[in-house]
This record gives sequence, C-alpha cells and structure tokens, in this order.
Amino acid sequence: MTEPLLSIRNLQVQFRADSGWVTAVDDVSLDVGEGDCVGIVGESGSGKSVTALSILQLHDRGTTRMPSGSIQYRGDDLLRAEGAALRRIRGREIAMIFQDPMSSLNPVLTIADQISETLRRHQGLTGAAARKRVVELLGLVRIPDAPRRADEYPHRLSGGMRQRAMIAMAIACKPRLLIADEPTTALDVTIQAQVLELLRDLRQELRMSVMLISHDLGVIAEFAQRVVVMYAGRIVEQAPVAELFRQPVHPYTIGLISAVPKLDSDAARLTLIPGRIPGPQEDIPGCRFGPRCAWVQACCRDASPSMMSVSDLQSARCPPRVVALGAPHG
Amino acid sequence: MVDQPIVQVRDLCKTFPVKHAGGVSTLHALSGVNFDIKRGETLGLVGESGSGKTTAGRILVGLIPATSGTVNLFGHNITGVDAKAQLAAVRSRLQFVFQDPYASLNPRMRVGTAIAEPLDIAGTYSRKDRNDRVAELLELVGLPRNSIERYPHEFSGGQRQRIVIARALALNPEFVVCDEPVSALDVSMQAQIVNLLLDLQDRLGLSYLFIAHDLAVVRAVSTRIAVMYAGAIVETAPKTQIYLSPQHPYSKALLDAVPRADPAYVRAPVVAGEVPSLLDPPSGCRFHPRCVFVMEQCRQEVPLLKCSGSDRRVACHLFGNGGSNVRETM
Amino acid sequence: MTDVAFTAAAAAPRRSGVLRRLSRHPAFVVGFSIILLLALCAVLAPLISPIDPSAMKVRFRFRPPSSAFWFGTDQFGRDIFTRVLYGARISLLAGFAVCVISGLCSAAIGVIAAQFRKLDGAIMRLMDALMSFPAILLALGIAAALGPRVSSVIIALTVAYIPAGVRIVRAAALTVREMDYVQAAQISGASSLRIVARHILPNCFSPLLVHLTFIFAYAMLAEAALSFLGVGIQPPVASWGNIIAEGRDYATEAWWVMLFPGIAISLAALSLNLLGDALGDLLDPRLKGGA
Repeated sequence: MTEPLLSIRNLQVQFRADSGWVTAVDDVSLDVGEGDCVGIVGESGSGKSVTALSILQLHDRGTTRMPSGSIQYRGDDLLRAEGAALRRIRGREIAMIFQDPMSSLNPVLTIADQISETLRRHQGLTGAAARKRVVELLGLVRIPDAPRRADEYPHRLSGGMRQRAMIAMAIACKPRLLIADEPTTALDVTIQAQVLELLRDLRQELRMSVMLISHDLGVIAEFAQRVVVMYAGRIVEQAPVAELFRQPVHPYTIGLISAVPKLDSDAARLTLIPGRIPGPQEDIPGCRFGPRCAWVQACCRDASPSMMSVSDLQSARCPPRVVALGAPHG
Repeated sequence: MVDQPIVQVRDLCKTFPVKHAGGVSTLHALSGVNFDIKRGETLGLVGESGSGKTTAGRILVGLIPATSGTVNLFGHNITGVDAKAQLAAVRSRLQFVFQDPYASLNPRMRVGTAIAEPLDIAGTYSRKDRNDRVAELLELVGLPRNSIERYPHEFSGGQRQRIVIARALALNPEFVVCDEPVSALDVSMQAQIVNLLLDLQDRLGLSYLFIAHDLAVVRAVSTRIAVMYAGAIVETAPKTQIYLSPQHPYSKALLDAVPRADPAYVRAPVVAGEVPSLLDPPSGCRFHPRCVFVMEQCRQEVPLLKCSGSDRRVACHLFGNGGSNVRETM
Repeated sequence: MTDVAFTAAAAAPRRSGVLRRLSRHPAFVVGFSIILLLALCAVLAPLISPIDPSAMKVRFRFRPPSSAFWFGTDQFGRDIFTRVLYGARISLLAGFAVCVISGLCSAAIGVIAAQFRKLDGAIMRLMDALMSFPAILLALGIAAALGPRVSSVIIALTVAYIPAGVRIVRAAALTVREMDYVQAAQISGASSLRIVARHILPNCFSPLLVHLTFIFAYAMLAEAALSFLGVGIQPPVASWGNIIAEGRDYATEAWWVMLFPGIAISLAALSLNLLGDALGDLLDPRLKGGA
C-alpha cells in the first residue's frame, strides 16, 4: 500500500473561549491517497470545516491551538510548517475552495487579476503568458466567453460563475490535493449539479485528489469514493461510499441517512433523530452521541469509545454496534 | 361553496424598479402567476433563485404590494381598491414563518413576549388568557414552559424555529405561508420541524403555502406542487405526479439535478446555462435558452398554463394542443 | 408528538453572562470605578470638605498644596480642593445632562428619519448643516446668545452633539427595519408606533449607549472650555473650567490652581472613554443572534 498523500493523525483543535480552551475537533485521523476522493459529511458543530482549515493552517493563531496530532503531507508535518515552506504548499500543492464565493473573491480586483496573482507567485508567469493561462483556465472551468469574463469584477458574475472562477484559481497550479468546503451549498440545485460535474471531470483530467466537505448526504453519495462521517468534533464512521449507504454502522450515520427526506418516499412523517447537537463546550461523558442514541448502553457513558474496524475499509466509533455485527476488533 | 379555494391568485405580476448608473431598469419578479389553495391542503412552491417564489409568498400576506393581478384570501381581494381594509379583515387568519431563525426573533424581547405579540396587537385578550395561550403554544411546539422568560440567543436554530411557529399560531390562523422554514437548519433538525408542521396541520386544520428549493423536503410536506421558473409557474401537479412523471422540461431538469443519497444512482445529463436575468428576460418561454426540446414557437410565444391531465397544468408548447386554458376551468 | 430531549447543560440559561463579563473586563472596571468615585465626591462634597468653596481667606492666598489645603489656595484664598469637589457637581451634571438629553433627542429624530423616508432627506440635511460647524463654535455661539449659565451650556452642547447621535440611531434603525422580526410584527398588524417602540428603539440602544459615553466626556471637556472662555459658568460658582480660567493668570506662581482641576477633567474623560470602549466590545456581538 503506497504512502497516502495526506495523513491526519489524532488531530485535536481547540479554540479559546471565555471559559478556557474548548475542543472543537478531537482525535481525528484520516488518510487521503493519490487520486482519492474523500467526502467528509457532518452537520453544524461536527468539526468538518475546522479540520479542513487546519490542514493549511488557516485558523487564527491567537485563539486556536492544536495540542496534539499531526498532518503529514509528503513527509512534512503541515502543523509545524512555517513561512516559505507553508506558502509553497498553499495554492501550489494543496488548494482550497470555500462555500461563499462572494466573500472568497476580492471585490475590487478583476477575475484575471486574482488568478494571475497565483500564477505569478507559484509559476512566475506574467504579462501575456499569464493572460493566456488565465483564459485557458476559465475555459477549463466552462465559463462561456472567457476572454471577456476574465476582465469582469466578481459582483458582475452569478453565483455559479463565481464558484467556477474560484475553482479556476484553485487549480491554476495543478495542485495535488483540492479541499472543497461546502462548495455548492450556496448554489441553486441545477448549478450545483453543474459544478459537481465540473469538479468530477477536473479531478480526472488533472489527476487530483479531492477532499469534499458537505452536510448534504446526496452530494457526498454522488461525489465521494470514501466517506468520513463526523459528529460533535469526532469521526464516528469511515467507509467506502457504497458500504456506508448499504450498511451504516454508527447509530448517527443510520439516523442521518434516515432523516434525509427522500425524493421517492411517500412516508407520512420523516424519521428523525431526537434531541439536538451538543455545543463544543458541553461536556458529555463517554460517547458524545449517547444522549440521542437508540442503542445506547451503560458502557457508552463510562468511557469515550475509540474507532473499531468493521472490515478492512470500514470502521466506526461504536463498540456495541461493531460487536453486534460480529466484526473483528482492532 | 364548500370547495371554494381559500386562496386564489390570478395573473399576479410584480416588478421592481432598479436604479443603476444608466438610469432605472425594471426587474420582472413575477409575470402572470395563477394558483389556488384549498382548505386543508399544502401547496409546495418550488424554484431556484429568481423564480419569484419568495416574492409571491410575501405578496400573499400583504408585506409587499402587487403590481397587477388579484389575490383573493378567504374571499377578500387584498390587491384591489381598498386593499388595506380587506387585508385588515383577514389578517388574523394569515401568518408567515420565516427562513432565518436568527433574524426572525427580536434579540431583546423575551420569548414569551415575542410569542404573545400577535395577541397583544389584537388587544382583546385578558392577561390571564394571554399567558395561558402562550403556555399552550409552547406545549404545542414542544418547548418547555420556562422558555417564556428566556431570550432567543439561548436557543438553537431549531428551537428558535419552534418559537417562530408558536408565534405564528398565536391567533389561530387558517393559512400559513412558510418561506423556506427549514433551509437554515441541520438535517436532523429539519426532520423535527417538518414533522412538527405536519402534526400541527393535522391537529389544527391548517393550510400551507410551503416555499422551498429543496424538492425532497417539499415532497414530504405538500399535497400539490407548483414549480416556478424566472417569475412564472411552469407546472402544477399533485405531489407524486411531479416526481413520477414531470412534464415541463424544467421540472425534469430540476429533479434530475437533485443529488440522491444513493451512490448507485446514475444521474441524467445536467441542464446547461443559468437562470436568466430578470431585468431583460428572454422572449417567449423564459426557459427556452436552456431547453433541450426548444422549438421556434418557444422563442416567440409565452406558453400559458394549460390543463394537461387530471389536476395537472403545465406551461409548455410541447403540451400546447388539446389542453384548455387554465383560466377557463377555474 | 415530536420528541425533544435536552441535555442538562444545554438547558441552563446564559443570560447573566453580560454582567459577569463586564465585571471581568479591566477597562470597564477601571472606568466605572473612577467615574463612580468622582460622582460620589460630587454628591458628598459637603461631607468630605465642610469648607464653603466661595469662602475667601485673604490671609491664605496662594498657599501651595499642604496638609491644611490639599490642593492649595487661589488668589482669593479659596480652598482649591473644595472648589474642585464642588466643581465636580457642575461639570458632571452638565456632562450627564447633555448626554441624556441629546441621547433622547437623537433617538427620536434618528428613528423618525429612518421610519418616514419623506422626512429623512430634510432631517439629514439639517443634521449635516449642524455638523458642519465645529461643535465648540456652535456651542459658543448659542451659549453667548443665551447668557452665561449652566442651562445655556447644557442647551448649547446638546444641540451641538445631537447630529452625531442621529446618524448612529438612523443607521441602526434602517438595518433593524429590514429584519424579519419587524416584518413578522407587520404581518400581525402592528402599528408603526408599536414597531418603533418595541422593536426598533430597543435594538438601536447598544450603539447609541456606547456613543453617549463619549458624548459625556466631550460635553464635560466642552463645558470646561466654554467656562474657560468665559461664556459658561461664571465664578464664584465653581466648575472645573472656570477654576482653570481663573488660575491662568497665575500659572507660574500658583501652578496648582490649574493642575488639579485639569487632572480631574482628564480623569473623568479617560474613565468615560474606557467605559465606552468596554461597552462597545461587549454589548453588540453578544446580542446579535447569539449562539
């Protein structure tokens, strides 16, 4: 088995609040291999975005700390990278796109200016060469009338166009890994479908790994090859996408899949998960999903559960369920 | 008389003047919208951005005046000459649930006071009756009694939405417009609120206009669905029919674009293009630039909403012949 | 029906947080303590120093600070310490009155401007006109016209400081008007008056409050300046400004006459600024949406 491209091990991220340090992400371990497509799914407070931002050290240094864990990328620990080393990786090796393209694009610079900035920094392209590449990139992300659009300001473009422009910026230097944090959440359904199709095609053309973060199980099901489910700061299940939907193990995964309204279901009522998501400062003994779990047992409150393998590729943070399925430990 | 719809909308048009550097343009938000809502039913109004669904919802409760057309609520015409008086007559029978649970409650008002506001405005309730009613409403939406003294910021998004619903029900309305009431909530909370709305409908005999962009949620809630595109209704049908056999090319495209929580699902080719500018809408059928079935007639003539089956109407030249104009059958 | 399970921690209210956070914010604690101290000195002046502030004891002219006269004496032998204490009454009163009256007027005018678009244009042009005069000149003119007394100073400064407050309230009111909860009240049939009183005004309060602490400070400084220039409070009534004015001619021989009232003014202004900063930090983000 080859070395994964990105390897996150036991990551813990804490934020400073009035009452002290609050843990937003706890014991997160996941790998992204070459050409992999990993989907991280979770609701608010799950820590999925916090995890993604940690990879490129995009958190505010004054109020964030990572007391334990490492993020290995091609031999370097990204959490300890600084200065030039970090800047070399950002944009060139690992790129990121965000949910709201309007706040991710500088409103006083044209699209061409913003993409050129990346090209100049990482590839030393200027002038006509940069312009040519910019138009090429805009064509690659399927923006019609690319030469004219390149000189537009962000507010003149629609939401879908802006997101494409963002993607163009991100892939400008052919990064090895693209992190997409809720890239289609703010878009209309039909535009979302277009952008997801674009991302899929780009992934193949550029042989890029993609880490897609979303709260939408449908988007994850369609796009990801492997899925990581997060709840209240922890990973609760990891599995290949087909296995996850066919045989979800963790009670939260089961609940989440059932709670999603289906297009082809005529149920009189939606299945729901009782209770509410705990805030990061709430201290819940044992399993953080315990208070809402239909399968909860005494041992769930006693100790914080750790991830257990259900098979080679699937693992879940729920000892009672894993054991019940008769799967091997470890 | 028994079957007289409680809401009748005919030829509703709404334009907004838009000031810009060159002068003033007109934004055509709604162009000739027609629909009915019967007592006890839920009409799901579905569309993407620019469809006009939110504008239609707000006109129905008198928040925005219509530019032309008629809106009849419980037999009162709120768009006619004495619109204000007519609206005042039916006000207590209407209500509205907003999308953003963080903007729909006054942060400085205690929850009890906020819920009681419609009662206080009506002014005909004694102190005791008012307090009893607030307690009753809290119970109806599943919130604890001590919520009365607390402030909105102490509650989560889902709980705030319950407070908003409780406030909406204060005066026992018969018709409630719900504008994307669950879009801002997590999946697990969406299911809770959707079920709450359905339960309340059963218990209190409410009729809803449910506005949403999420087709799966709309399916769970509605009895009939109307699909809107660029300011006009393109199709209406009983809910299962829309999902099983959509007629309008846009309805088909919309359904195809929705991601399914099923990795095995293979999606049909995504529709190209974007929602047109409402400042300068396309001639004829507004969907024609993106429609794979486009004909010459589509560019020239605006298709009218015509009967195309049992309780089905569609505005498309593909179904042009053989159906009678919807206005004649109403 | 729907099943709503609360975890114990989640059900506990966080409402008392605001006061607790204020007490932990150093700027607030310092600022509030100093101004409170000064206010107490003003109120309890007769108890702290039983001497009559206007009592002239020619024998004790120009005494430097000593155990008998803590702040020294002026050219008439009046005890500066007592005069500063009594001066606090005037200065703090003037500052507070200007703060409160201009606050009320700003709130009213700002909300009217936001609510009635037709009047908005006229009102804001009037405010712009007032703001184009430096506040102190405007106050000078009005005070001179009305005659040199406390009430003229208060009226003059109130008029000078209203426009800034109006801008703040109007901006806040325009934002609040568009909020969903205001629309919800409209749907329920609330009258404009009700919406303004129960929804708009309470939510304009925070930015205005912060602004008013600074107005308090400015007003006190302006009163001192006006009295110093001779168009404010006239001696023998003591105000920090006119004590300084009277000490001007003797600045080199009796530096203490100008120093102590000067320190008092600076302390008061500083503490109010600290208070305003602390309130600004703490008030708004807490109540905007929460969670």
